[in-house]
Formats: sequence, C-alpha cells, structure tokens
Amino acid sequence: MTVPADDEGALIAACVRGERAAERALFRREYPRVNATVYRILGTTHETDDLVQDTFIAVFRALPKFRAESKLSTWIDRIAVRIVFQHIATRRRATLVPLESIPDPDDRIGPLADRIHAREGLRRLYEALGDMKPEARTAFALYAIDGRSIAEVAALTETSAIVAKVRIWRARRELLRRAAGDPVLAQFIGEQEDP
Amino acid sequence: MSHDRERIVIEAPASELRRDRIEQQVFERLAAIRAGERAGAAMPASRARGRWVPWLAAAGAAAAVVLVILFAIDRDPAAAPSTPSSIATPVGGSSRFTVGDAIIDAGSDTRVEVTSGATGVALALARGSVDCDVAPRAGRPPFRVIAGDVAVEVVGTRFTVTRTSSGVRVDVARGKVRVTGPSGERFVTAGETWSSAPTITASAPAIEPTAGATEPAASDAIDPTAIDLAVDPTEPPRPGGPTRTLTSHALFDAAQRLRATDPAAAAGTFRKAADAGRDKWAAVALFELADLERSRGRALAAFASLDEYHRRFPRGANAEDASWLRVEALRDVQRVDAARAAASEYLRRFPSGTYVKLAQALVGTP
Repeated sequence: MTVPADDEGALIAACVRGERAAERALFRREYPRVNATVYRILGTTHETDDLVQDTFIAVFRALPKFRAESKLSTWIDRIAVRIVFQHIATRRRATLVPLESIPDPDDRIGPLADRIHAREGLRRLYEALGDMKPEARTAFALYAIDGRSIAEVAALTETSAIVAKVRIWRARRELLRRAAGDPVLAQFIGEQEDP
Repeated sequence: MSHDRERIVIEAPASELRRDRIEQQVFERLAAIRAGERAGAAMPASRARGRWVPWLAAAGAAAAVVLVILFAIDRDPAAAPSTPSSIATPVGGSSRFTVGDAIIDAGSDTRVEVTSGATGVALALARGSVDCDVAPRAGRPPFRVIAGDVAVEVVGTRFTVTRTSSGVRVDVARGKVRVTGPSGERFVTAGETWSSAPTITASAPAIEPTAGATEPAASDAIDPTAIDLAVDPTEPPRPGGPTRTLTSHALFDAAQRLRATDPAAAAGTFRKAADAGRDKWAAVALFELADLERSRGRALAAFASLDEYHRRFPRGANAEDASWLRVEALRDVQRVDAARAAASEYLRRFPSGTYVKLAQALVGTP
C-alpha cells in the first residue's frame, strides 16, 4: 500500500508496521533537513554521512515509541542532535578539519586559489568550534549556521531557552575573539558585532 | 557561502547520488539489524555458540552435518520470496547452497540470513564465514553481504567474508568487491584482503615514479578533440571497442564528479588523470588525490602522492598547498616531530605563504 508522504500519521503507522516503501518515503521527506543540520554542526561530509545514517537507523528503531508529544520533525531532529552531540563529546578532538569540508564549485579552472582560501576559512571556523565545549558548539551551530530559533535550539538540545542563549553567546564571543587575530576566519564569518 | 546579520550561511552538500547512497546504506543496515534480531529470536539460548562442541563430539564423523533452520531459497532471484531464509552450520560443519547463479559455501559455526528478490540478493552474516562465487553483476541484480556495519557489494568475483568478535575480514580471490564500513568505502580487488580491524592489510596503490617529468608550462594546451564526453572515463573500455584517448582534464572532471559519492573510484580516476599527462590538470589531479587519500585516512597513499607531486611539479600551482598538506597529514598520524620539520621546510620554501602563521605556531617561532 502506498502511503502519501504528507499524511504523517498514516506514514508513521506504516513505518511501524515495517512497510519498506513508507520507511523510504519518510527517509526522503526528512533527509534534506537532517543532512543539513548534521553537516552544519560538524562541517565535514564524511562524518555527516555516517551520523545521518545513524540518525535514521535510530529513528526507525525508535518510531514505535513515538508518542506525538512533539512534531515528528522535532523528534527526529532531537535524535540527530543527540547523536551528533555524543559524537562530538566522545571523539578525540580533530586538530584540523579536513579540507574536503567545502563542496567543490563547478568552475575549477580560475578560482582554485579562491577555493583553497574558502576551504581554509571554513576549516578555521570549524577548528574554532572544535575548541569549544560540545554544548556551546552545538547550540551555536544550530542557531547561527542552521538558522534555528532560540526556542528550537533549547528544544533540540533539551535545555532551557536561557541556557541555550548563554551557550550561543559564549560561543559567539569566543569565535569573535579568535577572528580578531585571524584575518582568514574574520573574512569568512564576516563582520559581526558582539551581541 | 555568505553572511548576514544573524547567520553564517553554509550550504550543506545536496547531491542526490549521495542521498541515494546513504538511503541504500541505511536500509541495508536496518535489514541486517532486523535479520540479526530475527535470527537471535529464532535461536534458542541452548544453541548458543560454544555449546555445539558436545553435539559435535557425538556426531563424530558427521562433521559435515548441516543444520538448516529454514531453507527456502529460490534459484530464481526475481521470483524468490522476500522473506529471509536462515542458515546455520554447527562447529566443524559447512553448507553449500545457491542463490540464483551464485554458489555460497557457509563455513563452520556460521549463521546467515538470505534475502533474495527483484532488488537483489543480500546475505546478512551474523557470525562465521561465507565463501561466495558470484558471476559479474552487469545486468544482474546486486549481490551484497552485510556483516554488522560492513557491507560488501559484489562487482563479479569470488570472495570470502568472515565475521568474528574482533571484526570483519574480506578476502577477494577473483574480481572485485566494494566494501562499505564505518571508515568509508573502498574497492577490494583480487589478491587483496580488507579488514575492519584497525590494521588494514590491503596495500596502498603503487606509485610509479615518472622520470624526467617537469612542471608544466602555464600555457600547456588541452586538446579538446581528445575529450570524448559521450563515454564515462571511469568505465573500462569494452573488448573490441574503439580505443579512447582521454586527457588528464577529462579524467580530472570525472574524478571530481565521483568524489562525493565514490571516493575509492575517484581516487583511481585522479590517479589516471595524473598519469595521463604532464599538464596542469595532471598536477591538480595529483594534489587532489593526496587530499582525498588524506581525508580517507590513507596517510601512506597521501604521502606517496605528495612525494610524486613535488618530484614532478616542484613549481606547480598547488606546490605551496601540497607542502602544507604534508604537515596536516603528518599531524593526522600523530607524527608531531615530522610535522614540525615539514612546517619548517614549508617556511623555508614559502616565507610569505598562506599558512605561515600556522607553520610558525607549530614550530614555535614568531
């Protein structure tokens, strides 16, 4: 039976019954947002791919326990953020973010130097984020890069809005401090005023 | 990338190929997990591993006895039911069975779930080993073996997958398989062994030194007539087909397209691009190959590519980046002293370079 992807209740029920077509429909519906959020916290496609996989496996295995106390998308994002947070908090901190962080632009002839420069800027951004506490890094990435609201950041990181705001503020302050002595990073993130 | 008042805008890579690959891996892993759970549920605790020994002693010469919990494999994969079939062999036993045109030998103390259908054949290996003799898959449904978080996809080959408590091992006797695991994806060819254990026994690709090669002139021309856009440079030529002449430029472009979705194939194509000429595209391909190998955790291959780059293109457009990439690769593998030495060498060669501050910080000079 084909379940329309926009009929969320029917889609969840079909997934719980183990219908592969429904599971694939749910994956296709949720993947773009999950992929973007995980990538923006991590900054590398390699780790993103692994953790997106882990997220969806966790989602499908936990779906029978979903009680619709929040939106399905929020529930899935919370699982993704939890998985990414655990990854960041437990791994050995990478000294340098791999250069493959930035997708290659189409034009590879003239702007090779620009591409390398842009990669370097992004690498330094995530190197700076990597030096922060996982809580601050995650909150800042969700807010300042993934474009979430303070309330969303609080919901996804399972904390209060005030704590989320403080974490974002601390991360931004640290980033600006580093950018003050790093022209490449400063150029990458642009001019910002300390909030 | 751009920036507005509140937000650093970074576009996440949105390749459909990448999404499809992740989707496939998610559902293969899910199938393996569920197959393992079903197998675990079907297997009484008294049949746990190690408790077969007394049974075997009693069996005596019947060492080849095979326990088949459920054997319902159809020889026609397209018509086969999608319900998995479970096969278990005791310690000392073995089992030969066929799925479509594949001949599979399950080794001693093996449990494997087989699913076959129109979408292909999947063996979920819970423990033990399977030796698979599989015809080339061109035009046939995919054939995969999933062992925990490792997936082995057959290209057309004979190979063995062994799952133990310490990891998964893949031995390829003939042809080629694609292995996907937590550390990424790579092709394993005849004579090679891949292991999920920390030590990878497959050797790095051999790098043939190119004698007499020099830095290309900036005006190196690319012959557009030599580029055949109708063919995929990553595909081997068909026997008896026309001979292709592919430039390093065409191969470089092909490798770039593969990079996000099939890093192993991209590395092979960058290699071909580097070998296809001595122009700037060959040079860039070599640099990208080093970068790619480093990102795949293949430090030795990265160093070999960087050595080759400096030998062939000492004044190439990426010479400075290659010099700094060596520092980063050395830091990756915790060779701190060597990284400092490489950073000093970088400062000597590029005193006004892009990475001077980072190099100075590493060597401890102002």
